[in-house]
Amino acid sequence: MIERKLALSNDILMSVEKPARYIGGELNSVMKAKSDIRLRFVMCFPDIYEIGMSHLGISILYNLFNSYDDVWCERVFSPWTDLDKVMRENKIPLFALESQDKVKEFDFLGFTLQYEMCYTNVLQVLDLAGIAYKSTDREEDDPIVIGGGPCVYNPEPIADFFDIFYIGEGETKYRELFDLYEDCKEKKLSRHEFLRLASHIGGLYVPSLYNISYNEDGTIKAMEPIYDDVPKVVKKEVVKDLDDVSYPLKPIVPFIRAIQDRMVLEVQRGCIRGCRFCQAGQIYKPIRERSVEKLLEYADTLIENTGYEELSLSSLSTSDYTRLGPLLENLIDKCNKKKINISLPSLRIDAFSLDVMNKIQDVRKSSLTFAPEAGSQRMRNVINKGLTVDNILEGAKMAFLGGWNKVKLYFMLGLPFEEEEDIKSIAELCNEVALAYYDVLPKEKRNGRISITASTSFFIPKPFTAFQWAKMNDMQQFIDKAELTKKSISSVLNQRSISYHWHEAGTSIVEGIFARGDRKVADAIIYAYEHGCIFDAWTDNYNHDMWMESFDKTDVDYKNYIFRERGEDEIFPWDFIDIGVTKNYLLKEWNNAKEGIVTKNCRDKCSGCGAFTYKCGICPGVHNG
Amino acid sequence: MADNEQKYIRVRLKFSRKGPVKYLGHLDMLRYFQKVMLRANIDIRYSEGFNPHQIMSFAYPLGVSMETTGDYLDIDLVSYDGLEDLVTRLNKVMNEGIAIESAKLLDEKALNAMAAVYAAGYKITVSSNEMDQAELEKDKLELMCQELVAKPEIIISKKKCGKKKKEEVVEKDIKEGIFELKADSDGILYMLLKSGSALNIKPVSVIEALSENIGKNLKVEAILRTDIYGQAEDGSIVSLSQ
Repeated sequence: MIERKLALSNDILMSVEKPARYIGGELNSVMKAKSDIRLRFVMCFPDIYEIGMSHLGISILYNLFNSYDDVWCERVFSPWTDLDKVMRENKIPLFALESQDKVKEFDFLGFTLQYEMCYTNVLQVLDLAGIAYKSTDREEDDPIVIGGGPCVYNPEPIADFFDIFYIGEGETKYRELFDLYEDCKEKKLSRHEFLRLASHIGGLYVPSLYNISYNEDGTIKAMEPIYDDVPKVVKKEVVKDLDDVSYPLKPIVPFIRAIQDRMVLEVQRGCIRGCRFCQAGQIYKPIRERSVEKLLEYADTLIENTGYEELSLSSLSTSDYTRLGPLLENLIDKCNKKKINISLPSLRIDAFSLDVMNKIQDVRKSSLTFAPEAGSQRMRNVINKGLTVDNILEGAKMAFLGGWNKVKLYFMLGLPFEEEEDIKSIAELCNEVALAYYDVLPKEKRNGRISITASTSFFIPKPFTAFQWAKMNDMQQFIDKAELTKKSISSVLNQRSISYHWHEAGTSIVEGIFARGDRKVADAIIYAYEHGCIFDAWTDNYNHDMWMESFDKTDVDYKNYIFRERGEDEIFPWDFIDIGVTKNYLLKEWNNAKEGIVTKNCRDKCSGCGAFTYKCGICPGVHNG
Repeated sequence: MADNEQKYIRVRLKFSRKGPVKYLGHLDMLRYFQKVMLRANIDIRYSEGFNPHQIMSFAYPLGVSMETTGDYLDIDLVSYDGLEDLVTRLNKVMNEGIAIESAKLLDEKALNAMAAVYAAGYKITVSSNEMDQAELEKDKLELMCQELVAKPEIIISKKKCGKKKKEEVVEKDIKEGIFELKADSDGILYMLLKSGSALNIKPVSVIEALSENIGKNLKVEAILRTDIYGQAEDGSIVSLSQ
């Protein structure tokens, strides 16, 4: 066994909250001898340990990279504000958890970018590691900084901070990139020469190799590669058959409780439902399923290798997995024997799922979740959410008869074409659910009062959705709409059974800017970070005034990114990315939204989105040319 | 009832913890051992009811940053293949730094680990920014110990959160709880302190008393719990592993 010496002293570790975040050494974490390897990768989730360790993507890549004999992949997370302060004061460089070596000594520093509000934390990690913020300011020996995850579908606001972006699913191209790196190192090629060659690999985008020109109104005129051999368009990478790629069967088991403290089985990728606000639904197309046989085999091995007491099924919409019945039947059997719980997030409430839930969980504790996203049917047609009041009420009634009495309902405010009536319908829908409870259960059978929790978030238009053209609401509109929702809820009959929560409006504005901004935004992020903005996804840390000051001081016309409807022929910062789904298709969907026309899901009828170009998953079977 | 209880095998496990894992809190250790039982396929007894959990209890929660060569947890087993097999299987799935040192069977009348605790031994490294390290390492530390235990009473003051969130300072004599206190020439302190529900003396309290007595600040660099003890019928102090 390799002796591990910690980077932080006992005094420092004893002065911070949860020192176990920084010690590594967890079960299944990988140690290798430096003499045996040629390439060192450190993977970062730019938030605290407990959040980062809950992310399946990191686990998949950690397992894949460490399966290569010549590569050692380690982890690093954002030090929480207490340790951040100590490290600055004592000039302690950021270190990787496994070897406790400095991040700056690594060949690659990879970031997974799961939400926009982590961008100042990317700068924190670079800063504490002693690596320049901007790719063009880095030294020859600095790690290659590479980013992946959903945020890279518009990487432009943070393009200056990254040497490479990986667009798409990580399983396909990293081996090729590592081979190229090792080859370039041997031939003593420069960093720049390596990056130029890397841009030839599918899915890899090297932002420093492009020139952007702008129109007078601030929109993009053109994006041109600076060399002829650098591709104009970067095509998203997709795993064709999920059964063919490796799965993390020896995931790291944290000592401290992670947010997701359980085993995860990823049953499928992609989604058949084309909700018009949803980015994940488009960028992960086409839907591809894992086989039941593989999943059951994985479950056995995971149980053996981790000792977790809970197993979770993961996907965008687990109810759409075509073999959910046989899968669950076998899993329930396996897990009951070992006293392991099964958790089923993202399950549609119907007779089948209620039956399953009855078999696997303690009825008295759980609450049921519906995500109608909008209060009125008109609005649900606009967003193409194929859920009707009848679906919700039917599901709720069945649940009430089965003993549930807690319901959570999720909605969005500020959706395109929203009117006052649509907002008021949120309250009416909540009230109807409450009425259904009293309706379906006679007094003596009721299990206390019904408890309904309604939550609203503010709609943020995202790239590669039908709403990428849409205008976003401003702060005052958001607040007014939340107030109206509150007022409407307090005027319905069953208001005492309904509690209402809403999401912070300020972060939504900044998230909107990052989501559809361009390269000009980068300087505002640096300004905000240097003036103390960090952990912006944490409400307590978010400083809206400082963000507004940052846009102002760096001359970023942020309103231009969010508060105007974009023209049909406008060039977007992310247009150079090809996700299969075409801009034409999304435009058609944008126009359908205006008319409230519903589009069928992939399984019912192919709508010709363009994902067929990947010739995998559901596409070959249903494609209608 | 008695018949029912006899169906289970009561086992006391002695474990050690060294190195970076010393930064785990007590609840993390509990969760750690729960997973160990599942990985090692131990036929552990579960509680009844809606939320069955493993029957497992620790003798004395380990503080963050404390290492140990002798801590204990009791488990109930439904079936097993002997103590040797049990220890081998557990150690096969253990993390770097944590190990099962030994196991013994408990008879049905034995007190559970927590109730059985009477005393605990510690080995502590100290430093001081107000004294020369060499001074500490010679016989000075041993003299300080002798001076302290020679006093008729050893008073420590403790801040306590009283009613209405007012902070109160409570004074307490800990002399009867210090069974043994000495130092070697390397500047390492050894203590045997009363533990358990009746009177529980923490090693840091003794360090505070030492500091106060010499009027100079002593800082704890490392604490190792050497073993935990119970009291035999004749009043003698015996290791929980005996």
